[in-house]
Amino acid sequence: MKSSTETDADLADVTLFAILDHATLEREFDRLLAANGPALARLAACYTNTPSDRDDLLQEIALAVWQALRSFRGECSPRTFLFRIAHNRAIAYLARDQARNPGRFPAAAVDEVHDSGPDPESGLAREQAAARLRSAIHRLPLVYRQVVMLALEDMGYAEIADVLGISESNVGARLTRARQLLRESLEKSK
Amino acid sequence: MDTELETWRREWQSETAVAPDLRRRVERQSRWLKIGIAADILVTVVIGGGVIALAAREPQAHTLLLAAATWTFIAAAWTFRLTITRGLWSPSATDTATFVNLSIGRCRAQLKATLFGAGLYVCELAFCLGWIYRYSAPRAPLGNWLFGSIFNCLVWVFSLAFFIFLAWYRRRKRAELAWLLSLRES
Repeated sequence: MKSSTETDADLADVTLFAILDHATLEREFDRLLAANGPALARLAACYTNTPSDRDDLLQEIALAVWQALRSFRGECSPRTFLFRIAHNRAIAYLARDQARNPGRFPAAAVDEVHDSGPDPESGLAREQAAARLRSAIHRLPLVYRQVVMLALEDMGYAEIADVLGISESNVGARLTRARQLLRESLEKSK
Repeated sequence: MDTELETWRREWQSETAVAPDLRRRVERQSRWLKIGIAADILVTVVIGGGVIALAAREPQAHTLLLAAATWTFIAAAWTFRLTITRGLWSPSATDTATFVNLSIGRCRAQLKATLFGAGLYVCELAFCLGWIYRYSAPRAPLGNWLFGSIFNCLVWVFSLAFFIFLAWYRRRKRAELAWLLSLRES
Protein backbone atom coordinates (compact mmCIF):
# COMPACT_ATOMS: atom_id res chain seq x y z
CA MET A 1 0.00 0.00 0.00
CA LYS A 2 1.20 3.48 -0.81
CA SER A 3 1.80 5.86 2.01
CA SER A 4 0.12 9.23 1.94
CA THR A 5 3.40 10.93 1.09
CA GLU A 6 3.97 8.68 -1.91
CA THR A 7 0.42 9.16 -3.09
CA ASP A 8 0.71 12.92 -2.86
CA ALA A 9 4.05 12.86 -4.63
CA ASP A 10 2.56 10.78 -7.42
CA LEU A 11 -0.23 13.26 -7.77
CA ALA A 12 1.79 16.41 -7.26
CA ASP A 13 1.44 17.28 -10.92
CA VAL A 14 -2.29 16.77 -10.76
CA THR A 15 -3.14 20.42 -10.27
CA LEU A 16 -4.78 23.03 -12.42
CA PHE A 17 -6.98 20.43 -14.06
CA ALA A 18 -8.91 23.25 -15.64
CA ILE A 19 -6.32 23.69 -18.34
CA LEU A 20 -6.33 20.02 -19.34
CA ASP A 21 -8.12 18.61 -22.34
CA HIS A 22 -10.82 15.98 -21.92
CA ALA A 23 -8.59 12.96 -22.56
CA THR A 24 -5.95 14.13 -20.09
CA LEU A 25 -8.64 14.91 -17.56
CA GLU A 26 -9.93 11.36 -17.92
CA ARG A 27 -6.44 9.95 -17.36
CA GLU A 28 -5.97 12.07 -14.24
CA PHE A 29 -9.39 11.01 -12.99
CA ASP A 30 -8.42 7.36 -13.44
CA ARG A 31 -5.12 7.97 -11.69
CA LEU A 32 -6.79 9.67 -8.73
CA LEU A 33 -9.29 6.85 -8.32
CA ALA A 34 -6.69 4.14 -8.78
CA ALA A 35 -4.43 5.70 -6.16
CA ASN A 36 -7.24 6.13 -3.66
CA GLY A 37 -9.69 3.41 -4.67
CA PRO A 38 -9.25 1.16 -1.62
CA ALA A 39 -9.45 4.16 0.75
CA LEU A 40 -12.65 5.35 -0.92
CA ALA A 41 -14.11 1.84 -0.76
CA ARG A 42 -13.33 1.65 2.99
CA LEU A 43 -14.91 5.06 3.49
CA ALA A 44 -18.04 4.13 1.54
CA ALA A 45 -18.37 0.83 3.42
CA CYS A 46 -18.21 2.72 6.69
CA TYR A 47 -21.13 4.94 5.70
CA THR A 48 -23.38 2.20 4.34
CA ASN A 49 -24.83 -1.12 5.40
CA THR A 50 -24.75 -3.32 2.32
CA PRO A 51 -22.36 -3.95 -0.59
CA SER A 52 -24.83 -2.56 -3.13
CA ASP A 53 -25.28 0.62 -1.06
CA ARG A 54 -21.51 0.90 -0.83
CA ASP A 55 -21.19 0.64 -4.61
CA ASP A 56 -23.96 3.22 -5.10
CA LEU A 57 -22.18 5.63 -2.81
CA LEU A 58 -18.86 4.99 -4.52
CA GLN A 59 -20.48 5.78 -7.83
CA GLU A 60 -21.90 9.03 -6.47
CA ILE A 61 -18.49 9.97 -5.13
CA ALA A 62 -16.81 9.20 -8.45
CA LEU A 63 -19.36 11.27 -10.34
CA ALA A 64 -18.92 14.21 -7.97
CA VAL A 65 -15.14 13.96 -8.32
CA TRP A 66 -15.44 13.95 -12.11
CA GLN A 67 -17.70 17.01 -12.03
CA ALA A 68 -15.47 18.92 -9.61
CA LEU A 69 -12.16 17.94 -11.19
CA ARG A 70 -12.21 20.61 -13.86
CA SER A 71 -12.59 23.34 -11.25
CA PHE A 72 -9.78 22.03 -9.06
CA ARG A 73 -7.14 24.74 -8.79
CA GLY A 74 -4.73 23.04 -6.43
CA GLU A 75 -5.83 24.99 -3.33
CA CYS A 76 -5.35 21.77 -1.36
CA SER A 77 -3.70 18.42 -2.02
CA PRO A 78 -5.49 16.09 -4.44
CA ARG A 79 -6.09 13.68 -1.56
CA THR A 80 -7.77 16.39 0.56
CA PHE A 81 -9.84 17.37 -2.48
CA LEU A 82 -10.89 13.75 -2.99
CA PHE A 83 -11.74 13.10 0.65
CA ARG A 84 -13.73 16.32 0.95
CA ILE A 85 -15.89 15.24 -1.95
CA ALA A 86 -16.17 11.70 -0.62
CA HIS A 87 -17.31 12.81 2.85
CA ASN A 88 -19.69 15.38 1.39
CA ARG A 89 -21.31 12.85 -0.91
CA ALA A 90 -21.53 10.41 2.00
CA ILE A 91 -23.35 13.02 4.09
CA ALA A 92 -25.77 13.73 1.25
CA TYR A 93 -26.28 9.98 0.94
CA LEU A 94 -26.99 9.60 4.66
CA ALA A 95 -29.42 12.53 4.60
CA ARG A 96 -31.38 10.83 1.81
CA ASP A 97 -31.20 7.50 3.62
CA GLN A 98 -32.60 9.14 6.75
CA ALA A 99 -35.46 10.59 4.69
CA ARG A 100 -36.22 7.14 3.26
CA ASN A 101 -36.08 5.47 6.68
CA PRO A 102 -37.13 8.09 9.23
CA GLY A 103 -36.28 7.28 12.82
CA ARG A 104 -33.37 5.02 11.95
CA PHE A 105 -30.04 6.61 12.57
CA PRO A 106 -28.30 5.97 9.30
CA ALA A 107 -25.58 3.41 8.98
CA ALA A 108 -25.65 2.66 12.67
CA ALA A 109 -27.14 -0.80 12.64
CA VAL A 110 -24.04 -2.81 13.28
CA ASP A 111 -25.83 -6.13 12.95
CA GLU A 112 -26.32 -5.43 9.27
CA VAL A 113 -22.75 -4.39 8.67
CA HIS A 114 -21.26 -5.94 5.60
CA ASP A 115 -17.67 -6.96 5.85
CA SER A 116 -16.29 -7.42 2.40
CA GLY A 117 -13.01 -8.22 4.09
CA PRO A 118 -12.01 -11.30 6.02
CA ASP A 119 -14.46 -13.69 7.59
CA PRO A 120 -14.23 -13.38 11.40
CA GLU A 121 -14.50 -17.16 11.63
CA SER A 122 -11.47 -17.72 9.44
CA GLY A 123 -9.44 -18.38 12.55
CA LEU A 124 -6.87 -15.72 11.93
CA ALA A 125 -6.70 -13.39 14.89
CA ARG A 126 -5.45 -10.48 12.83
CA GLU A 127 -8.36 -10.68 10.43
CA GLN A 128 -10.80 -11.00 13.30
CA ALA A 129 -9.32 -7.92 14.92
CA ALA A 130 -9.62 -5.96 11.66
CA ALA A 131 -13.26 -6.99 11.25
CA ARG A 132 -13.99 -6.03 14.87
CA LEU A 133 -12.35 -2.66 14.33
CA ARG A 134 -14.43 -1.92 11.22
CA SER A 135 -17.61 -2.88 13.04
CA ALA A 136 -16.69 -0.70 16.01
CA ILE A 137 -15.94 2.28 13.74
CA HIS A 138 -19.22 1.72 11.93
CA ARG A 139 -21.03 1.98 15.27
CA LEU A 140 -19.47 5.33 16.22
CA PRO A 141 -21.56 8.51 16.02
CA LEU A 142 -20.99 10.26 12.68
CA VAL A 143 -18.82 13.13 13.91
CA TYR A 144 -16.39 10.71 15.56
CA ARG A 145 -16.54 8.20 12.74
CA GLN A 146 -15.41 10.84 10.23
CA VAL A 147 -12.40 11.89 12.29
CA VAL A 148 -11.32 8.32 13.00
CA MET A 149 -11.64 7.22 9.38
CA LEU A 150 -9.46 10.10 8.21
CA ALA A 151 -6.89 9.52 10.96
CA LEU A 152 -6.68 5.85 9.98
CA GLU A 153 -6.03 6.90 6.38
CA ASP A 154 -2.76 8.47 7.61
CA MET A 155 -4.05 12.03 7.71
CA GLY A 156 -2.66 14.53 10.19
CA TYR A 157 -4.72 16.97 12.25
CA ALA A 158 -4.25 19.81 9.76
CA GLU A 159 -5.42 17.74 6.81
CA ILE A 160 -8.42 16.34 8.72
CA ALA A 161 -9.34 19.89 9.75
CA ASP A 162 -9.07 20.92 6.10
CA VAL A 163 -11.37 18.13 4.96
CA LEU A 164 -14.01 18.61 7.63
CA GLY A 165 -13.87 22.38 8.01
CA ILE A 166 -13.23 22.34 11.76
CA SER A 167 -10.30 23.59 13.81
CA GLU A 168 -7.29 21.40 14.57
CA SER A 169 -8.03 21.58 18.29
CA ASN A 170 -11.54 20.35 17.53
CA VAL A 171 -10.04 17.49 15.54
CA GLY A 172 -7.88 16.60 18.54
CA ALA A 173 -10.83 16.70 20.93
CA ARG A 174 -13.01 14.59 18.64
CA LEU A 175 -10.25 12.08 17.99
CA THR A 176 -9.56 11.65 21.69
CA ARG A 177 -13.24 11.01 22.38
CA ALA A 178 -13.55 8.77 19.33
CA ARG A 179 -10.61 6.65 20.42
CA GLN A 180 -12.07 6.31 23.89
CA LEU A 181 -15.40 5.14 22.43
CA LEU A 182 -13.59 2.82 20.06
CA ARG A 183 -11.56 1.26 22.90
CA GLU A 184 -14.72 0.67 24.93
CA SER A 185 -16.50 -0.82 21.94
CA LEU A 186 -13.59 -3.13 21.12
CA GLU A 187 -13.37 -4.24 24.76
CA LYS A 188 -17.05 -5.17 24.74
CA SER A 189 -16.78 -7.10 21.50
CA LYS A 190 -13.87 -9.25 22.68
CA MET B 1 5.03 6.49 18.64
CA ASP B 2 1.31 5.97 19.09
CA THR B 3 1.21 2.17 18.94
CA GLU B 4 -2.53 1.87 19.43
CA LEU B 5 -3.28 4.15 16.45
CA GLU B 6 -0.62 2.42 14.34
CA THR B 7 -2.15 -0.98 15.08
CA TRP B 8 -5.59 0.30 14.18
CA ARG B 9 -4.20 1.84 10.97
CA ARG B 10 -2.69 -1.47 9.90
CA GLU B 11 -5.93 -3.31 10.64
CA TRP B 12 -8.04 -0.65 8.92
CA GLN B 13 -5.90 -0.50 5.80
CA SER B 14 -5.74 -4.30 5.50
CA GLU B 15 -9.16 -4.02 3.86
CA THR B 16 -8.28 -3.39 0.24
CA ALA B 17 -11.53 -4.07 -1.59
CA VAL B 18 -11.26 -2.84 -5.15
CA ALA B 19 -13.79 -0.26 -6.25
CA PRO B 20 -16.11 -1.39 -9.05
CA ASP B 21 -15.67 -0.10 -12.58
CA LEU B 22 -16.48 3.48 -11.71
CA ARG B 23 -15.23 5.11 -14.88
CA ARG B 24 -17.86 3.50 -17.13
CA ARG B 25 -20.64 4.21 -14.65
CA VAL B 26 -19.56 7.84 -14.30
CA GLU B 27 -19.57 8.30 -18.08
CA ARG B 28 -23.10 6.86 -18.26
CA GLN B 29 -24.35 9.01 -15.40
CA SER B 30 -22.72 12.15 -16.84
CA ARG B 31 -24.59 11.54 -20.08
CA TRP B 32 -27.90 11.31 -18.22
CA LEU B 33 -27.17 14.53 -16.32
CA LYS B 34 -26.48 16.35 -19.58
CA ILE B 35 -29.70 14.93 -21.07
CA GLY B 36 -31.59 16.17 -17.99
CA ILE B 37 -30.27 19.72 -18.38
CA ALA B 38 -30.92 19.64 -22.14
CA ALA B 39 -34.48 18.42 -21.50
CA ASP B 40 -35.24 21.48 -19.33
CA ILE B 41 -34.05 23.80 -22.05
CA LEU B 42 -35.78 21.76 -24.75
CA VAL B 43 -39.14 22.00 -22.97
CA THR B 44 -38.76 25.78 -22.81
CA VAL B 45 -37.76 26.01 -26.48
CA VAL B 46 -40.46 23.62 -27.76
CA ILE B 47 -43.38 25.01 -25.73
CA GLY B 48 -42.27 28.64 -25.80
CA GLY B 49 -41.28 28.45 -29.48
CA GLY B 50 -44.47 26.57 -30.35
CA VAL B 51 -46.80 29.23 -28.96
CA ILE B 52 -44.81 32.00 -30.64
CA ALA B 53 -44.98 30.16 -33.96
CA LEU B 54 -48.72 29.71 -33.50
CA ALA B 55 -49.20 33.40 -32.68
CA ALA B 56 -47.11 34.40 -35.70
CA ARG B 57 -49.09 32.13 -38.03
CA GLU B 58 -52.49 33.18 -36.65
CA PRO B 59 -52.08 36.59 -35.02
CA GLN B 60 -55.43 36.69 -33.26
CA ALA B 61 -56.40 37.65 -29.72
CA HIS B 62 -56.57 34.11 -28.39
CA THR B 63 -53.20 32.96 -29.81
CA LEU B 64 -51.50 36.15 -28.62
CA LEU B 65 -53.02 35.64 -25.17
CA LEU B 66 -51.77 32.04 -25.13
CA ALA B 67 -48.25 33.10 -26.14
CA ALA B 68 -48.14 35.90 -23.55
CA ALA B 69 -49.40 33.68 -20.74
CA THR B 70 -47.06 30.81 -21.65
CA TRP B 71 -44.03 33.10 -21.65
CA THR B 72 -45.13 34.64 -18.35
CA PHE B 73 -45.21 31.16 -16.79
CA ILE B 74 -41.84 30.23 -18.33
CA ALA B 75 -40.27 33.48 -17.13
CA ALA B 76 -41.73 33.01 -13.64
CA ALA B 77 -40.39 29.44 -13.44
CA TRP B 78 -36.87 30.33 -14.61
CA THR B 79 -36.69 33.47 -12.46
CA PHE B 80 -37.72 31.52 -9.38
CA ARG B 81 -35.30 28.73 -10.19
CA LEU B 82 -32.33 31.06 -10.69
CA THR B 83 -33.19 33.19 -7.65
CA ILE B 84 -33.63 30.33 -5.26
CA THR B 85 -30.48 28.49 -6.28
CA ARG B 86 -28.27 31.57 -6.15
CA GLY B 87 -25.24 30.86 -3.99
CA LEU B 88 -26.18 27.24 -3.45
CA TRP B 89 -24.24 25.63 -6.27
CA SER B 90 -20.64 25.96 -5.24
CA PRO B 91 -18.30 23.06 -6.04
CA SER B 92 -18.81 19.88 -4.05
CA ALA B 93 -15.16 19.97 -2.98
CA THR B 94 -15.73 22.43 -0.13
CA ASP B 95 -15.03 21.29 3.40
CA THR B 96 -17.68 19.20 5.12
CA ALA B 97 -18.91 21.91 7.50
CA THR B 98 -19.52 24.27 4.56
CA PHE B 99 -21.13 21.49 2.59
CA VAL B 100 -23.59 20.74 5.42
CA ASN B 101 -24.63 24.42 5.44
CA LEU B 102 -24.99 24.36 1.66
CA SER B 103 -27.08 21.20 1.86
CA ILE B 104 -29.34 22.82 4.44
CA GLY B 105 -29.76 25.80 2.10
CA ARG B 106 -30.53 23.50 -0.82
CA CYS B 107 -33.09 21.56 1.21
CA ARG B 108 -34.85 24.78 2.19
CA ALA B 109 -34.77 25.95 -1.43
CA GLN B 110 -36.27 22.67 -2.59
CA LEU B 111 -39.04 22.95 0.00
CA LYS B 112 -39.84 26.47 -1.24
CA ALA B 113 -39.71 25.18 -4.82
CA THR B 114 -42.40 22.59 -4.10
CA LEU B 115 -44.75 25.33 -2.86
CA PHE B 116 -43.92 27.51 -5.84
CA GLY B 117 -44.35 24.54 -8.19
CA ALA B 118 -47.76 23.75 -6.73
CA GLY B 119 -48.89 27.37 -7.06
CA LEU B 120 -47.56 27.68 -10.61
CA TYR B 121 -49.23 24.42 -11.60
CA VAL B 122 -52.61 25.62 -10.29
CA CYS B 123 -52.24 28.91 -12.20
CA GLU B 124 -51.22 27.12 -15.41
CA LEU B 125 -54.03 24.60 -15.08
CA ALA B 126 -56.61 27.32 -14.45
CA PHE B 127 -55.36 29.32 -17.42
CA CYS B 128 -55.18 26.36 -19.81
CA LEU B 129 -58.61 25.00 -18.90
CA GLY B 130 -60.09 28.51 -19.02
CA TRP B 131 -58.45 29.19 -22.39
CA ILE B 132 -59.61 25.91 -23.93
CA TYR B 133 -63.13 26.35 -22.56
CA ARG B 134 -63.38 29.99 -23.69
CA TYR B 135 -62.32 29.24 -27.25
CA SER B 136 -63.94 25.84 -27.70
CA ALA B 137 -67.07 25.50 -29.77
CA PRO B 138 -69.75 24.43 -29.27
CA ARG B 139 -69.46 25.33 -25.58
CA ALA B 140 -70.96 22.80 -23.14
CA PRO B 141 -72.02 23.74 -19.57
CA LEU B 142 -68.84 24.24 -17.52
CA GLY B 143 -69.52 21.43 -15.03
CA ASN B 144 -70.16 18.90 -17.76
CA TRP B 145 -67.14 20.07 -19.72
CA LEU B 146 -64.75 19.91 -16.76
CA PHE B 147 -65.55 16.31 -15.89
CA GLY B 148 -67.24 15.02 -19.01
CA SER B 149 -64.37 14.31 -21.37
CA ILE B 150 -61.67 11.68 -21.13
CA PHE B 151 -59.02 14.32 -21.71
CA ASN B 152 -60.16 16.42 -18.75
CA CYS B 153 -60.50 13.35 -16.53
CA LEU B 154 -56.88 12.48 -17.38
CA VAL B 155 -55.89 16.04 -16.45
CA TRP B 156 -57.51 15.62 -13.02
CA VAL B 157 -55.88 12.24 -12.46
CA PHE B 158 -52.49 13.66 -13.45
CA SER B 159 -53.05 16.66 -11.15
CA LEU B 160 -53.90 14.40 -8.24
CA ALA B 161 -50.79 12.28 -8.87
CA PHE B 162 -48.67 15.44 -9.12
CA PHE B 163 -49.90 16.77 -5.76
CA ILE B 164 -49.41 13.38 -4.08
CA PHE B 165 -45.85 13.34 -5.43
CA LEU B 166 -45.24 16.88 -4.12
CA ALA B 167 -46.51 15.93 -0.66
CA TRP B 168 -44.28 12.84 -0.60
CA TYR B 169 -41.30 14.84 -1.83
CA ARG B 170 -41.83 17.55 0.81
CA ARG B 171 -42.00 14.93 3.53
CA ARG B 172 -38.68 13.48 2.44
CA LYS B 173 -37.04 16.88 2.16
CA ARG B 174 -38.28 17.83 5.64
CA ALA B 175 -36.75 14.64 7.05
CA GLU B 176 -33.49 15.37 5.23
CA LEU B 177 -33.47 18.93 6.56
CA ALA B 178 -34.10 17.78 10.13
CA TRP B 179 -31.23 15.30 9.89
CA LEU B 180 -28.84 17.88 8.44
CA LEU B 181 -29.78 20.39 11.13
CA SER B 182 -29.14 17.83 13.84
CA LEU B 183 -25.78 17.03 12.20
CA ARG B 184 -24.85 20.70 12.22
CA GLU B 185 -25.85 20.93 15.88
CA SER B 186 -23.65 17.98 16.76
